[in-house]
Amino acid sequence: MAPVKKAKKSTESINNRLALVMKSGKYTLGYKTVLRSLRNSKGKLVIIANNCPPLRKSEIEYYAMLGKVGVHHFNGNNVDLGTACGKYFRVCCLSIIDPGDSDIIKSLPGDH
Amino acid sequence: MVKFLKPGKAVIILNGRFAGRKAVIIRSFDDGTRDRPYGHCLVAGIAKYPRKVIRKDSAKKTAKKSRVKAFLKVVNYTHIMPTRYTLDVDLKEIVTLDALQSRDKKVTACKETKARFEERFKTGKNRWFFTKLRF
Repeated sequence: MAPVKKAKKSTESINNRLALVMKSGKYTLGYKTVLRSLRNSKGKLVIIANNCPPLRKSEIEYYAMLGKVGVHHFNGNNVDLGTACGKYFRVCCLSIIDPGDSDIIKSLPGDH
Repeated sequence: MVKFLKPGKAVIILNGRFAGRKAVIIRSFDDGTRDRPYGHCLVAGIAKYPRKVIRKDSAKKTAKKSRVKAFLKVVNYTHIMPTRYTLDVDLKEIVTLDALQSRDKKVTACKETKARFEERFKTGKNRWFFTKLRF
């Protein structure tokens, strides 16, 4: 019971942190811009939805491995990730360029 | 956050005539130029891979099979897939932007690149680079 509760709580805080980044930081949404941000080493954290196609997921993870950037696998599909970003469209992957006031970069990469 | 599209990086060309071929970045232009307002790089790659040499082959056959055909290209970053491999050949003076301006300059640069690639292949180093990507 207790581990389940903790999992739920940490997804809540990821959503909160993501909302703070949307408000105060810089980010890009979408596969093409995520790769672009990784190539010019502007991206600091990459978040991938769980229904991302596996080839695309491995490609983004490989780029992130080359650029030594953390990847977080979001616990939700692209619809949920879009909602978490406050958008009315689906978001499969996003890259955080400048976290603003959020501590998402420091708190998350225990993940990858 | 580490820049990885640097000279010496082995990449795979994804689009165009040389799709599926391996290449090495010679010079990168991250912010583009006036003519190409996007990130691009100058690569030297392998157009024809060296064939597999078996023990039965005579010296003449081995020499023929170990030939490499090279190509030079300016390619957009979105059309390459970077890999974790590097190839350190000194091609900076041979492969330049003005070597691609005219046909005969390009041919001489290609010949020189071919020679460098062949001697690197014969040493047996960077074996991944000289094997064909199967797909």
